[in-house]
Amino acid sequence: MESLIWGYIYPNEAEIQWSILIVLYPYITGLVAGAFIASSLYHVFGKKEIKPVARFALLTALSFLLVATLPLVTHLGHPERGIEIMFTPHLTSAMSGFGYIYSFYLIVVVLEIWLSFREDIVKMALNSRGWKELLYSGLALFSYDISEKALHDDEKFAKKLAIIGIPSAAFLHGYVGFIFGGIKANPWWSTPLMPLIFLMSAIVSGIALLILLYLASMKLRKHAIDHKCLHSLAHYLWIFLILDVTLELLEVISMKYESLEEIEIINRLLSDKIATTFYGVQLGLGIFVPFVLLLLVGIMKNRETLKMIMISISSVLVVIGVFAMRWNVVIGGQEISKSLSGTLTYVPVFFSQEGVLPAIIILVIPFIILFVITRILPPWKDMEEKV
Amino acid sequence: MQPHLKRAFTLLAIAIIGFIAVRALIVPDSFGQNGWYRGDSVFELRNFPVKHAEPVSCGEEDCHKTIYSIWSSAGHKTVNCETCHGPSQEHVNNVRIMPPPANDSRDFCGLCHFKRAARPSGFPQIDPETHGENLKCAYCHNPHKPWFV
Repeated sequence: MESLIWGYIYPNEAEIQWSILIVLYPYITGLVAGAFIASSLYHVFGKKEIKPVARFALLTALSFLLVATLPLVTHLGHPERGIEIMFTPHLTSAMSGFGYIYSFYLIVVVLEIWLSFREDIVKMALNSRGWKELLYSGLALFSYDISEKALHDDEKFAKKLAIIGIPSAAFLHGYVGFIFGGIKANPWWSTPLMPLIFLMSAIVSGIALLILLYLASMKLRKHAIDHKCLHSLAHYLWIFLILDVTLELLEVISMKYESLEEIEIINRLLSDKIATTFYGVQLGLGIFVPFVLLLLVGIMKNRETLKMIMISISSVLVVIGVFAMRWNVVIGGQEISKSLSGTLTYVPVFFSQEGVLPAIIILVIPFIILFVITRILPPWKDMEEKV
Repeated sequence: MQPHLKRAFTLLAIAIIGFIAVRALIVPDSFGQNGWYRGDSVFELRNFPVKHAEPVSCGEEDCHKTIYSIWSSAGHKTVNCETCHGPSQEHVNNVRIMPPPANDSRDFCGLCHFKRAARPSGFPQIDPETHGENLKCAYCHNPHKPWFV
């Protein structure tokens, strides 16, 4: 125990309370917000080249959104009390908003998916028998109007909904950043840039995950990849990566330039406690390498397979890099003492309620949900046409 | 509005009304009466039997006057009698009911006196590995007058 502590720390800091599960929570909500914003590139901004993955992105967002509360609930000593945040939210705490913000966003995503899949749902309800007919009729709310006018109205409404959806996706994730950014006692967290940093890294991780899931599902379904769509996603990934790194570096550089009283402990944090995960994984592997690879993808002509490999590698690195970023924020912030003159060390446990195992399980669940949802609402039609 | 959209919104309205209804049932009536907690809990807590008697009850009426005067002028005067001897209201009410035996284990003293990086350097601290040969602290130290070894 003693060797994990350096300098002077307060007695109540000896145990790190926010474990890997709390690292997972912003990571998962980030993937949700990112996937949703990627889909709205088509639904709101009319970027036609994104169309193949637009509906798939919504399903991805929903799959991850459904487990977004799990890390928090698992982290609670009394999970059954989690719902109290909805019944009696204490409005002086930013955290109390979570239940309502999450529910509002869930409604928006479900409605958005329902509207964009309604035509398919109705057709399947009319063309199937037995329990399938019941399932799809239920999903269609027993209303089978798919006339041109009805679909046109749906599309108009879906667009309006997506316009609400973007700020609420930004709000859901910006809010997670705000929770950290608003903790004035912790110099590593307390910055008004935090919501924006969280949002940019969310978009980056969401797009990267979408690229990986798109490539994987096309490989599994043995279908050709729409390179135009892939390159467009890679292009947006590159742009958001630049915004992300700008903000992340801005925060650290301004901290170092201002050199306030906390700078010594921040330097120690960056040069010792989280040096590998910050410089190595978050900035080096997670941002610099993908930035160069995606830049080359943008410059290179033809050689589609090579470009695809480069995009896949970039996406994998980005997804890992953003996880490292969440780790550096959540764990890094707790590894420095509020006394500003001591550090602690977080040692992850594997088998425990707060351990690595539940974290892995929670991270696997959305992929299972996505698999099931794509069985019920196949998005493949968009992904496989005209290639 | 298209009928399917009407149905969707009706469903949403039912869900929201359902939530409000469940909330009304679950949140206790006295919640928020005096602040952000259940008002009735104040009365419930007030009805709990009193267990602690305060050091004054030990020293008055000549029961433990000598030890009380030694303790109250020594280094441990900020450590309440009942911290080590346990809650004693029942004993004060009826001297035949004895309080639980005093906790004199090494670990109990160590809660304050084992070495910790976070404690002020002037505070008496020992390394339990090297100090005292695993004997009970009270074997050498008088807990009522700590430096009276």
